[in-house]
Amino acid sequence: MRNVLVSSAASPLGRRLLEHLRGREGLGRIVGIGSGPSPERIAGVELVRFEGAHGELVELLRAHEIDTVIHCGLAPDRNGSRAEPSEAGVIDTMRLGSAIGSEGSLVRAWIVASSTDVYPVTSRAPRLQREDGSPLAGSGGAAGAGLGVGLGIGSGDETRLASLLEAEDYVRDVAARAPHLNVAILRLQQLVGEGVRSPMAALLGQPVMPRVLGFDAPIQMLALDDAVRALAFAAEVELAGVYNVSSSGTIRLRDAIRVLERRALPILPLEAGLLTPLARRLGVPHVPGGMLGPLRFGNAVDTSKLAAAGFHPEYDQAACLASLHG
Amino acid sequence: MSDRTDALLDRWGRAPGGSANAPFRAAYRNWFRVEWEGIEHVPRRGGGLIVANHAGLVPVDGGIIALGVEEETGRSVYALAHHGFWRFPFLGELLERIGAVTGHPENAHRLLAEDKSFVLVFPEGSKGPVKPPSQRYQLQRFGRGGFVETAMRAGVPIIPIAVMGSEDATPLLKTFRLAGQDVPLTLNMLLFGPLLGMLLQFPVKIRCRVLPPVHFDEPPNLDHYPRSLLMDRAEAIRGDLQRALDDMLLRRKSIWGG
Repeated sequence: MRNVLVSSAASPLGRRLLEHLRGREGLGRIVGIGSGPSPERIAGVELVRFEGAHGELVELLRAHEIDTVIHCGLAPDRNGSRAEPSEAGVIDTMRLGSAIGSEGSLVRAWIVASSTDVYPVTSRAPRLQREDGSPLAGSGGAAGAGLGVGLGIGSGDETRLASLLEAEDYVRDVAARAPHLNVAILRLQQLVGEGVRSPMAALLGQPVMPRVLGFDAPIQMLALDDAVRALAFAAEVELAGVYNVSSSGTIRLRDAIRVLERRALPILPLEAGLLTPLARRLGVPHVPGGMLGPLRFGNAVDTSKLAAAGFHPEYDQAACLASLHG
Repeated sequence: MSDRTDALLDRWGRAPGGSANAPFRAAYRNWFRVEWEGIEHVPRRGGGLIVANHAGLVPVDGGIIALGVEEETGRSVYALAHHGFWRFPFLGELLERIGAVTGHPENAHRLLAEDKSFVLVFPEGSKGPVKPPSQRYQLQRFGRGGFVETAMRAGVPIIPIAVMGSEDATPLLKTFRLAGQDVPLTLNMLLFGPLLGMLLQFPVKIRCRVLPPVHFDEPPNLDHYPRSLLMDRAEAIRGDLQRALDDMLLRRKSIWGG
């Protein structure tokens, strides 16, 4: 019997994952932790409100004899713009990592839900990003992000990217120091689904859909159900390493607009910066922060590594769009 | 670019038929009167990396090679192009529709190894289109042999194609330095004005000669191929192409009639 702990239990991803795990065989205790206000109860799941003290976390893992931890705190599934810095997500990751790696810990599988946002989105990038393609290499993004963050003038986008990379680095450190621990980093593609407020969901949720004049690159999204199944799969087989996760195929925004039967508003390919939050508030069609790059150059990733490990998504891009209606 | 055709684009953004649209077909037949030698050298199965000499302010050699190979074999040709073109509105989309792909080694590998397509690359790169008249049909530096590595890694042969005529379609008179940019002036621009002169090419006769494919003994998918080996192979292919161009130049009776 495996005992599983899920972090960020109150987030759309964490909550759906807990509901999914509840129905699976071979699992003993299922514990969800979260720092926010207590979420609705899920039958068969023990929800623990957790304020973040290190000793408390170590004790929690030991008391419940947790051997598998699934960390959902880094996935961009809550804010409509990815610009919100995930500082808390990074600190949570570090706390979890140190508790998991602490002496006497029974944890032997740690699954971290990261994001495909770590890849550079430029004309230089290959059509499909692979896991070993160096994150942000060649885009000038890494150096730019570092400098911007250092000076405190980075855009939210850069801050979030730097946070993600820092968190992934930290997770790899934990993996290197604990040889008996299997650590998997799942880089989740832009999420869509019930309750999800990713940049992609924010883009596709608008009644009049903006599209970037003169560009229509193939884009990719990940259905919440596929994300949850991938995380559960990784926990079950105790996957180790870095894996891209996406629902299958790609779609161009023009096709997506046709499928959704929306009207399109072509806009100039300019970073709207401060105007974007204003446009969002006024309900004017706008490209959410972080989505301009994908719409110009595409954001698709190569998922063959996870496929070779035995996981196949159930949704394609059309099914992802259909799930937006539901 | 009607919205209706979007769903027909392949995963590289290529429209059915690629460069084989009606106006380009007409230019191929009636304006440049393209003729082929050695087309039987083009493999009928498996991927292949096509390398050729490159010229023209708005190069037509890529489209001509793609159309010829596609007509003969019924198989698609994708051309590697500089990623910078994709930064401009409409241009990237247009290039993709006629079969261009950004020149990332991973893109080339996927096309060759997964799709078993033909990939066309001009190792002279951007130095080709800005050749001064004195350098016509003289192959410029062939990069660092990256194209050989791409072929070896994918386990496909290299198919060299020598193109005669394309380097006379837009003769370069002079290159000016303007605001930090090299601005070329062609004879066409002098005669027809800057805009029309960019697009209007002289009706030269274009001949393409396919050389025997070059196969490699090295196993595919190695992490590393010796740099010196790549350079040797690249130089050998460059030599073969140059000899073919010299021979074709010698046999040519007139620029217009071939």
